Order: sequence, then C-alpha cells, then structure tokens
Amino acid sequence: MTLTADLQAWLLLSAVLFSTGIYGVLTRRNGLGILLSIELMVNAINLNLVAFGWARGDHTGQVIALFGIALTVAEVAVGLALMIQMSRTVKSLDLGRATELNG
Amino acid sequence: MIDAALPLPLILLAAPLVAFCLVALTPLRKTGVFAAQVVIAFSPLSLAAACLLFWRQLGDPTLVDTWSISWMSTGGDSLVQVGWHIDGTSAPMLVVVGLVALCVQVYSVAYLHDEPPASMGRYFAWQALFVFSMQSLVLAPNLLQLFMGWELVGLCSYLLIGFWWRKPAAGKAAVKAFWVTKTADGALLLGLIVLYSLSGGFGWEAGALSTKQLNFVTGLLLLGVMGKSAQIPLHIWLPDAMQGPTPVSALLHAATMVAAGIFLVVRAWPLFEGAPITLEVMLWVGSITAFLAACFALVQDDIKKMLAFSTCSQLGYMMAALGAGNMAAGYFHLTTHAFFKALLFLGAGALIHATGSMSMKQMGGLWRSMPGTFLLFTVGSLALAGIFPLAGFYSKDMVLESLHHAHAWGPLALLMAGVALTAIYVSRSLFLVFSGTCRTPDAHPHEAPFSMMAPMVLLGALSIGAGFILFEPFHRLLGVDAQFHWTPLGIAGLGLATAGFGIGYWLSQGRKIAVLAPAAALIRSAPLDRAYETVWNRVLLVSGRLVAWLDRYVIDGAINAFGWACIGLAKRCKKLQTGRVDHYLGALVGGAIAVILYTVIAFSVWGGVN
Repeated sequence: MTLTADLQAWLLLSAVLFSTGIYGVLTRRNGLGILLSIELMVNAINLNLVAFGWARGDHTGQVIALFGIALTVAEVAVGLALMIQMSRTVKSLDLGRATELNG
Repeated sequence: MIDAALPLPLILLAAPLVAFCLVALTPLRKTGVFAAQVVIAFSPLSLAAACLLFWRQLGDPTLVDTWSISWMSTGGDSLVQVGWHIDGTSAPMLVVVGLVALCVQVYSVAYLHDEPPASMGRYFAWQALFVFSMQSLVLAPNLLQLFMGWELVGLCSYLLIGFWWRKPAAGKAAVKAFWVTKTADGALLLGLIVLYSLSGGFGWEAGALSTKQLNFVTGLLLLGVMGKSAQIPLHIWLPDAMQGPTPVSALLHAATMVAAGIFLVVRAWPLFEGAPITLEVMLWVGSITAFLAACFALVQDDIKKMLAFSTCSQLGYMMAALGAGNMAAGYFHLTTHAFFKALLFLGAGALIHATGSMSMKQMGGLWRSMPGTFLLFTVGSLALAGIFPLAGFYSKDMVLESLHHAHAWGPLALLMAGVALTAIYVSRSLFLVFSGTCRTPDAHPHEAPFSMMAPMVLLGALSIGAGFILFEPFHRLLGVDAQFHWTPLGIAGLGLATAGFGIGYWLSQGRKIAVLAPAAALIRSAPLDRAYETVWNRVLLVSGRLVAWLDRYVIDGAINAFGWACIGLAKRCKKLQTGRVDHYLGALVGGAIAVILYTVIAFSVWGGVN
C-alpha cells in the first residue's frame, strides 16, 4: 500500500508541476518566462519517469529520464539562442510583438 | 572467291556511318578539307563492298542474302525486323549510289574550296549521312526500314538544300522541299499502316491480299513516290531545290534520292504488279510529267533549273515504264539516268564555277576555254537525248518499247513528244552555253581542276558505255529475259531526237520568242505554286490556328484553372497562420488536452482505444 501511496504522491507533485508549466506557457508573454514554464513541464515528465521506474523496481525510467535531461539541455540552448536573436531584432522579449510570420 | 562469311553489307553500311560520326561528333568537323578527306577515305570502302556484292549477284542472280534482327520486340511477337536483303533488285542500286556518291564527294572538295572549314565539315558530314541513309533504304529487308531510310534521305535533302542557309531563298527552298515531300510521305506512312493491318507485316509480298486491297495500299504508297520522285503535281519542290550546292543537286536531286521513289516501286513490285488501277495512274502521271516537265525545261534560262525539270521529265519516263508493267525498263532507265544526269549536273557545276553565273544567256563560246567540260557535257546531253549508242538510248528505247507492248497509245504519244522536246532543250542549252562568243565580257572562264574533271570523266565513260555493257547483266539480275534489237519505234525515237537537235539549234539562235512566248506564259509552274500557297494559307494555317486556340484556352485553360483553384484555397488557409505565438501555444496545449481527454474517455467507456 505504501508503494502505491508514495507513487500517487509523486505523480500528484508531477501533475502540479506540469499544470503550473502549462499555466505559465499560456499566460506569460515574456519569451524567457515561457521557456522556464516549458522547463517545468519537461521536469514534471522526468519526475514521472523516475517515479514509475522506482515503482517498477528497475532502472529503465531513470535511464530515460537521463536522456530526457540531455535533450532538454539542447532544447534550452536553442531556445536561449532564439531569445538572444529576438532581443536583437525586435528589441524586446515580448512574444506578442513577434508577429512577422502571419499569413 | 568472295567469302560468304565476310559481312559485306555491314561494311557497306558502317563505312559511311563511321565517317559521319567521326566528322559530325568530333572536332574534326572544324578542320574543313581534312574532314572531307576522312569522308572520302571511307567512301571507297563502301563502294568496294557494293561492287563485290554486285559481282557476287552477277555470279548467281537468284542468290538472296538476307539477315535481320527483331526490333522493338515485345516478347514473342516483334513489330518489325531490321537488317539487309540483297538480291538482284537491290544490288545494282547499291553500286549506283556508291559510285555517284564517291564521284560527287571528290568533286565537292574543289567545288566548295572557298567555304569556311566548319561549313565544309558540315557538308561532308551530311554527305556521309546521306550515303548511309540511302544504302540502308536500298538494303532494307522490309518496307518499314525502307521508310526510315526514306525519311533520313529526306532530312539530308533538307539539310543540303539549305546548306547556304544565310541566303533566304535557300532556306525557303529547303523548307518547301521538306513540306512537300513530308505531305506526300504522310500518305506513304498511311499506306504502310494499312499494309500492316491487312497483311500483318511490312513485307513486299502480295500474299493473300485481294486486288482491291492492293490497289488501295499501292495507291497510298504511290502518293509518297510522287512526292519523292517529283511527279506532277508534286514536282514543285525540285526546281527550288537547286538552291543547294550543285554537287548536291547531282547526287540527291538527280541521281539517287529522287530515284528512291522509283526504287520503292521496283522493290515493292509484287504489290504494285497486282494493282491494275495504281499502274494505270502511274502510267498517266509518268507520261504527263515526262511531257510537261520537258516543256518547262524548254523555257528555262537557268541551267540548273533546266536540268531539274529535265530530271522530273526523266523520272516521268521511269514512272511510265513501271506503269506499263515493265519494271526492268523503269529500273534500267533509273540506272543510266543516274550516270548521265549526275554528269550533266557536275558539268553545270564546272560551268557555274568558271563563269560565276547560272544563266545560260550569260554563257557562250565556252568550248574554247573549257574543252574538257564541253566534251563531257556534250556526252551527257547526247545520252540524255537518247542518241545511239549512248546509255540513254538503250534505256529510253526500252521504256518506249514497254509502252508499245502495253498498247498504251496515249502515254506513248506523250513520251515520243517528250523525246523530241528533250533533244530540243538539250541542244538549245548546248548551243547557248558553248557556241558563239561569251556574253559576260569581264569573265575569264577556265577549265575546272583535275579533282573536278576526274569524277566527270568516270561518269562520262559510264554515260557512254552503261547502255550496252550493262544491258544484259542488268536484266539477268532481275531475272528478265531481254534482248536488244532495233524496232521501228526505236528508229522513230532516234529520228525525233535528231530532229529535235536541229530545232534546238534554231531556237538557240534567238528566234525562240515568237514560238515560245505564249507557251512559256502558259506552262510555267508558278500558278501551281500559287494554288498550293492558297491551300496552305486558307486550310492549313486556319486549322492550325484552331488547334492553337484549343491548346491555349481549353487544354492550357484546364491546367491554369487547377492552378488558380489551389492558389484560392491557399489564400483562405493562410489566415490560420496568425503569427502570434500565444495562438500557436494555445492550439498545441488544447490539442494535447483533447487527445488526453479522448484517451481517458475511451478507456473508461469502451475499455480501450478503438
């Protein structure tokens, strides 16, 4: 019972983190804020993976989570590069101003 | 002696083809005289193979050397065979083509020495291509391969007529020749298709075809033949074709290519033999052409046009003989005509070369400055007029005899009149060109160089001797038993020709205006040209415009409409791309939530995603 209860607690934490991330993504206008929110969501997923792996009693979840972290690093690098470019061209990090690509 | 394993026909065909590829596809073509020498170096190979084949055929006239491979094979059944078929019919023509081609090529080097090297290379490349095409036409084991050679020589004719393409008249003449012969070839192709659908092949055996079918098929073939062999009313391209260099006229438009039409009839003789209506048409078309073209020749002052109409006229003789049912007579006249008409054209080339003019009125008194050309031109003229014992006499006598034999009195009368007219125009030209005094004061005519005279001497010897030397072997090859003997008809023809010479002399002395002015006005072929032009403008161009309209507005319209529909759709769809990041993110999250909700509901309600 404890195992299941603990797992549920972890999953609950993960869900809260994920929802916070979604909320941030949808409400933030600042590019860096959205990037941070996405990080929250990714980490919620990683937490999920680790929690399930712990509950199953093997290392699969942890290994996938490690891969996920590595991927996140790359993703953040790209995201920050985009932000730097944006601050140079639009002179702002407000994504509402980046509307050049409308149809 | 001659090894049967030696692939003589292969050498015959490959030599000119290799020469063509060497000159046309490599930088050799820019070397001028050297390119010419390469082509001329390959020609004797081809000629030697032809002569050996001819010799072998003489040894055994019934021999048939045939070899072919399937072409466009579709598994079991192949549409057509390509290869060669050498028998008594094709062997003489091979030698004629090879011999005249070699003479003309040697002659051309000196004739065209002023041309830039690239033009010279171009000229000789086409010469080699022509020889290859003509030989593959002659060797063809079926009518489809013959047709391919036929079209290739047509192409060479177009290219060589337009050799001096910077001159607008030459370009126009080339296009005219192309269109007139192509129109006729349309009928020929149709005839081949009908033949295939009736007999299941492109062979020339009559097989099980009925007389009606044969009449139909050969009638269509005949239209193509009339275009190629310049028979009235499709002769209009030949006088214009004289815009090409004179040696080209000698080879293509006198000796070989225009004779391809006659050769087609000879080759497909089993088909034509069984088609009485076609033969009757040929008889009349041939004799009318022989007569009318001789009239046209009579009023020409341009020496080449005179010879061109003379060629039409002589092709008419061959046609008439074929129409009268005597294949050997028509074929024999083709052979002798090839020699003496090529000689006459080469002689005319030497005259044009020396005086710089094509008008016989500006020549005169040339026998003093050009005795060799005078002698050879006279030989060619006498052979053309049919004077005993030159080559033309024998073959023309056979043509007349065959009409007599067929009791075709109307055509025979036309041809007899043609004999007199031939002698008249021939002697008129002889006297105009060679007697009296030169009418171009500042010209300094000189004898042609050796390399131009040597081919003419060879052709001159053949013009004298081919008649009685080749008479017997030629008929043996064709499997016809023929003996030459004097008949009243032959003597009458000779008499007419001799009388014609007298009249020709009289005409050349400037008395022709009173006699010929009305005739000249009547019989020039200009009205016919205009009639064709009208048909062209009214019918072909109008229907062409209709087709162009259909293409532009119906076919292109459909394609454009499709394109416009795509653009319209895209214009509507692009509104989705707002460019606002929050919209995209919202769509992303909303989509993800929708998928999750669906999955949850699916599991709880149906117990799985299905």
